[in-house]
Amino acid sequence: MDTLELLREFIKRRVVNPPEEVTLESRLEEIGVDSLTLLDLMFDMEDKYGVRMPDDLPRPDTVGDLIAIFEKLKPASNV
Amino acid sequence: MSEAARRRVAVTGLGVVNPFGGDLLDFFARLMRGESAVRLYHHPASPSPLAQPAVSCPHFDAEAVLGRPLAGVCDRYSQLGVAAAFSAWEDAGLPRQNGGSDEYGVSWGTGVGGTLTFERGYADFYVHGKDRAHPLSIVLAMSNAAASHVAINLGLGSSCLTYSVACASSAVSIGEAMRRIQAGESELVVAGGSEAPLSFSVMRAWEAMRVVGQGDEETAYRACRPFQVGRTGLVLGEGAAALVLEDWEHAQARGARIYCELAGYGQSCDHTHLVKPDAYGQTRAMRLALREAGLDASEVGYVNAHGTATREGDPTEIEALRQIFGAHAENLLVSATKSMHGHLLGATGAMEALITVLALARGEVPPTAHLDEVSPDCQGVRHVMGKGLRGVPLKAALSNSFAFGGSNAVLAFKALS
Repeated sequence: MDTLELLREFIKRRVVNPPEEVTLESRLEEIGVDSLTLLDLMFDMEDKYGVRMPDDLPRPDTVGDLIAIFEKLKPASNV
Repeated sequence: MSEAARRRVAVTGLGVVNPFGGDLLDFFARLMRGESAVRLYHHPASPSPLAQPAVSCPHFDAEAVLGRPLAGVCDRYSQLGVAAAFSAWEDAGLPRQNGGSDEYGVSWGTGVGGTLTFERGYADFYVHGKDRAHPLSIVLAMSNAAASHVAINLGLGSSCLTYSVACASSAVSIGEAMRRIQAGESELVVAGGSEAPLSFSVMRAWEAMRVVGQGDEETAYRACRPFQVGRTGLVLGEGAAALVLEDWEHAQARGARIYCELAGYGQSCDHTHLVKPDAYGQTRAMRLALREAGLDASEVGYVNAHGTATREGDPTEIEALRQIFGAHAENLLVSATKSMHGHLLGATGAMEALITVLALARGEVPPTAHLDEVSPDCQGVRHVMGKGLRGVPLKAALSNSFAFGGSNAVLAFKALS
C-alpha cells in the first residue's frame, strides 16, 4: 500500500464525515484533519515506516505536503 | 438567592450504559428482579494474575454507538459517558441534528477519569521499553474529556464542568447542575458521570484497602452484600448514567415528558477522617436536601442508600437515617443497588440517581440483592429484600452518596403531584 492509500485509510477511520475523495491537492483542514488528528496521523505513520519526524518540520498544508515529508524520510531510514 | 426566585428543576431524560447491555427499562427490570451483574473479572492485561469480583460492560461497543472517529479519541470512561449522554438526550426528546444551545450545559463527574489511558502509557514505558507516549494521551486521559465530548457532540454552549469528589462525584455534578439552572445560568444541563476503573493498578489499589467483596467463579455474583451479616465489601463497576435536567417552564414549553422534580440538594463535609464515615456529616447533607425540597422526613418513602457493603460504611449510614427519619425510619424503604450494578466510583451517584428517578416515577422500588439476614448494626429501617416492590405510592425519594474525603451529597426527588 503506498503512502496515499495509507493516508486515505487513516482518514476514513479517524475523521468524522470523511470526504469521498482524497487527492494530493486536498487541504488537510478541509478534509477534517485538524491539529489533533494530524498528531495522531503522524504518530501512526512514524510507526508504520519506522521513522521519526523532526519537531521543527513546517506544518503540512495539503495531503501532498505530508506525503512529501514521509517520502523524504523513508529512504533515510532504509525502510 | 431567595427561595422564591429559584427556578424549579425537572428531570426530563435518562440515559445509561449498564452491564446487562439492554436499554434503560431492561436495566431497571433486572434490578427489580434482584439480578446481579457482578462476575469474577479476570483482568485481560495484568502483569500478574488478577481475578476480582467486579462489574464490566462487555456488550458495550463504542465504535457501533459513537462511530469510529469519536470512539478513537475517547478513553473508555469518555466512551461510556458520551453514550449515556446521547441516550439521555434522545430520551428527553431533544433533536441531535440541530445541535443544542448556548443556554444548555453539561455537568459531569468522574473519580479516576482516564486511568486506563495512563496505565497503557506506563506499560509502554516501563514494560514495553518504548521511549515516547501516544500524542493523544493527554486529551484521552484528562478528567474533563468526557464532559467536553458531550458538549461538542450535543452543542452545549453553557457551562461545561467536571467534578471529581471520589464516590460523590456525579451526585455533586447533578446537584451543581441544579444550581446552574436555579440561578438562571442554564436552561438545561446534561448531568451525570462515567467511570472505567477496571485497570490493573486501580483494582489492586482497592484490594490493598481490604474493602473489596470476596468471591470465586461461583459466588462472585453475590460478592457485594450491603447491610448483610458477614458482608465483605464493595465491588468495582464500570458504566455511566446521565440525566437531562431542565428549567421547569422550559420543559413545559417544549412539551417534554417530566419524570419528576429534582427538588433538593444537600452537601456537607464530615471534616473528621479521610475514609471513616461520620453519621453527623451525613445527616447534615440529608437535612439540607430535605429543607430545600420543602419536605418533611415523613414524606420520603424511599432512600437509595450509598450502601457499599463495607463493615463501617453501612451501619454509619443506617445510623444517620435513623437520626433523620426518627420514628418513620421503620417504614422507610431502603435499598442499596450497588449489590447488582457495583460501585461505579465517580459515576455511582448518577447511576443511583437515575434508579431513584425511575423508582419514584414508576412506583417501583428495587431491592438490595443478596440480603437475607440484616446485620444487627444495620437494622431500624425497612430493607427491601428479595425482589423489588411494585405499586408503591411514593411522594419523594432520596439518593445518598458519601465519598472518601468526607464529602457527602444527597439528592431529593419529588414525584409529580
